[in-house]
Amino acid sequence: MKKKHIIGVFDDEAKVVAALKKCKEMHIPIEDVFGPFADHDILKQHTKKSRIPHLAFFFGVMAVVLTFSFIYFVTVIDYPINFGGKPYFSFPPMVVLMYLMTILITGTLSSLVFLGRTQLLPGKQAKIVDPRVLDDHFVMLIEKPDDPEKIKELLRNAGAKEIEERDEE
Amino acid sequence: MQTNFYPPQKLKILAAILIITGVAALVAGFISDPDRTWANILLNNVYFLSISMGGVMFYSIQFITQSSWSALFQRVPLALGAFLPVAAALMLVLYFGLPDIYEWAIPGITETDKLIAHKSPFLNVPFFMGRMVLYFALWIAIWLSLKKFAFKEDRQADFSLYQKSNHYAIVFIFLAVIFFSFAGMDWIMTIDAHWYSTLFGFRTMITSIYYGVAAVVLIVFFLKGQGYFPQMNEAHRHDMARYLFRFSIVWGYLWFVQFLIIWYANIPESTIYYVPRFLGEWQVLFYAEFFLNFAIPFLVLISDDIGRKKWVLIFMSILLMAGLWIMLFIQIMPGSYGQLKFGFTEIGLWLGYAGVFIMLVFYLLSRSAVIPVNHPQLKESIDHHL
Repeated sequence: MKKKHIIGVFDDEAKVVAALKKCKEMHIPIEDVFGPFADHDILKQHTKKSRIPHLAFFFGVMAVVLTFSFIYFVTVIDYPINFGGKPYFSFPPMVVLMYLMTILITGTLSSLVFLGRTQLLPGKQAKIVDPRVLDDHFVMLIEKPDDPEKIKELLRNAGAKEIEERDEE
Repeated sequence: MQTNFYPPQKLKILAAILIITGVAALVAGFISDPDRTWANILLNNVYFLSISMGGVMFYSIQFITQSSWSALFQRVPLALGAFLPVAAALMLVLYFGLPDIYEWAIPGITETDKLIAHKSPFLNVPFFMGRMVLYFALWIAIWLSLKKFAFKEDRQADFSLYQKSNHYAIVFIFLAVIFFSFAGMDWIMTIDAHWYSTLFGFRTMITSIYYGVAAVVLIVFFLKGQGYFPQMNEAHRHDMARYLFRFSIVWGYLWFVQFLIIWYANIPESTIYYVPRFLGEWQVLFYAEFFLNFAIPFLVLISDDIGRKKWVLIFMSILLMAGLWIMLFIQIMPGSYGQLKFGFTEIGLWLGYAGVFIMLVFYLLSRSAVIPVNHPQLKESIDHHL
């Protein structure tokens, strides 16, 4: 898919945050921000709140229910064995397995969902918009609208070091 | 910005009323039922000592981990330690009630009970009291030093005071972990002298931080309501909620581990402890303890957005205060007093202790600036954000 972009290169994260705030005011959608390190202010301005925690909670509940049903099926219905005179349905030892399976299932599934949502695969080639991101610069990627001059103006005012238009992917 | 805390008049009157109620309950209790009153005195001693020790341990952890987020309200956990000397005095008074609480302290029991006779080199009254004095002497000495450095730091900005606090905090954590574990075994577990759990002391020690943090949360929000800590923001509440949440997991884990192993092994001398509590008349409290201390805080605080709300935090902390009481109640009462009774003695004594506790903690808070003015991490703490 080919898209046209405006790229703003910044040398300071405070300037990026300022630009992001202005974009937010003017309702300009931002495609992505790249930088050498994670910055909480940028994340807060740029990204929507992740919904993965809610999904993880759902996975956790699902894991508890599934594990409980499985152990109940095995120890009570399908293959009841008497262990030391304990009743077939004894809850306390189930808790340990439920606890461990919850961690396993929640951890695995939410990381898979994360990889799927961000379209990351092992061995995937990273798309580097500007090689200076690997050094000490920040890059803002904005989809090119009908009047690019307005955005260019905005980026320039915010203190962008360099602004370019790119037609490739 | 107010820097020094002035306890409002209402608080002083409240504390006075609570103390009078407590004294009335004490007198009435000793006239009607001394056994029950002694057991309640032990319960409330351990209750408020747990909060105190938890507070000072929390304070020490902040130094050891060099946490900056809590520098703003550091004086609150430090002030919780103000109850330590009083707790020491009240624990020593317990000497006169030992046979009423502890089976092993009844004179002549070693001749009829072989197991207690076997344990008597450790479980005898002089050694018991000696250990108690040692624990308190060490804790109070370190707490006084921590307090001295903190107060001195207000007057002179000297980084060496922070470093000294750091060294003493490390010593305090060691002393608290080792000796508060022993204290938990000494004071609570030996009530059922025939029973033991290797986990018991550790559980008493580690859960005290949980309740210490809950008390810190309550006092911080009380002070914020009075107009202190204007710089406190969402990030501080977030960290408080995380602290409570993580300790709820620790609490639930230790509670369950102790239960599961005894349940599984099914050895009569171990299970005897759980028979009245899990199957007998204490059953309701057994489940209440579990829900108040683990299930409700865990499920409510699991979400960041809900957990960092002010009223949720306050409500959870109040639940935990009740949870600690129930936990100690079913640890202490079945073995010492033996009957499930809840009345004026229980409520009144708790209120009386709470009055003393409030008075001491707020007195200590009023002695220095509420916000440590020269703390090296203060700026970082005020700028704390998510």
